[in-house]
Amino acid sequence: MNRSHMLTALLVMALTPATLLAQKDSGRVVIGRVCVTVYHATNGDPAVAGGQAAAVGKDMEERFRNEERLRFRHYRVLGTDTQPLFRSYENWAKPLKQSDEVLVRFEARGASTKDSMRMDLELWLGRKKILKTDALLQGDRPLHILGPEWRGGRLIISVARAHKTNP
Amino acid sequence: MNTNPDEVKLALWLDDELHGEELEAFEKWVADQPGHLAAREESREWRKMMNAALPASEEPPYPDFFNSRLAKAIHELNATPAGKSAPAFSWRSWLMPVTACAGMVAAFWMGGTLKQPPPTPMVITPVSEKKPLVYLPEKGVAADWFRSEEASATVIVLQGVSAIPDSTDFFSTAYIPMQGDKDRTASNRENEDPKSVRQ
Repeated sequence: MNRSHMLTALLVMALTPATLLAQKDSGRVVIGRVCVTVYHATNGDPAVAGGQAAAVGKDMEERFRNEERLRFRHYRVLGTDTQPLFRSYENWAKPLKQSDEVLVRFEARGASTKDSMRMDLELWLGRKKILKTDALLQGDRPLHILGPEWRGGRLIISVARAHKTNP
Repeated sequence: MNTNPDEVKLALWLDDELHGEELEAFEKWVADQPGHLAAREESREWRKMMNAALPASEEPPYPDFFNSRLAKAIHELNATPAGKSAPAFSWRSWLMPVTACAGMVAAFWMGGTLKQPPPTPMVITPVSEKKPLVYLPEKGVAADWFRSEEASATVIVLQGVSAIPDSTDFFSTAYIPMQGDKDRTASNRENEDPKSVRQ
């Protein structure tokens, strides 16, 4: 290898990492936003959910009550988290802050449109994977998962396309 | 005094290539060396056999092609005289790396200044919600999936999930966003004032 070829190779080697870093990671493109909310539904005293638990909006409460298997007397919001849905990367929602009791892992599966997004979704309870499914969130139709019992009621983990205002 | 002939003379004598005084002197010495005499006879026999089997000369195959290749090699040899070498640092030795460097800098500059074209819209086919695959790794857990028109939602009812102990307290962990709260998605948290986070 003569001197000019050696110099060329050195320059290319020095600039190649910069070139790679300069390229954008298309996998991190946000193609949607996912809102995960944990509700406490109970026929007993709603105060057991705690003072910070917020009341549920009338519209959502009515929709819960319209479905027989989700019908309870009282609903409270325990926590909510909105996270971006990346094109290629997984992401996690942690609706109960500072607690790993309820976690939702999601990852885009195929193209997302203005009205729908399909994703692989996992529900983790107590750091155990309880459920894995492929969810299709269309329009204003969330996915409600009637989950574990807690303090005389049940937790409802709701996964929805993110709105500007949460419940 | 060493009177033995050297190996070169011996080889020449075996091939009948010694002449004159050297041959006479060698013949005197080798007269009482029956081993060497036998070796020369064997060598002579072998040469006779080879001369009988092989022609004295043979034309190379495809002589025209052979000659043209030979002429071309001679021409190339004359075109690049051997003793001349390029100087250690000529402008040509620097031209290639400098050009490569300039090209890469230009590429970086163009990449930074030119806006990326908007992503091409993907062709979206209408999706229909089929019954999804539901995997339940925990033993004893069952799931019932259905579309609820009454609730305008998709519902999965889990059965057999261990209850969360009542001692588990979500009071201190609950976070309920209020109106006026900023967007706290991961992409926006970098600019958030840590003191304003309610936990």
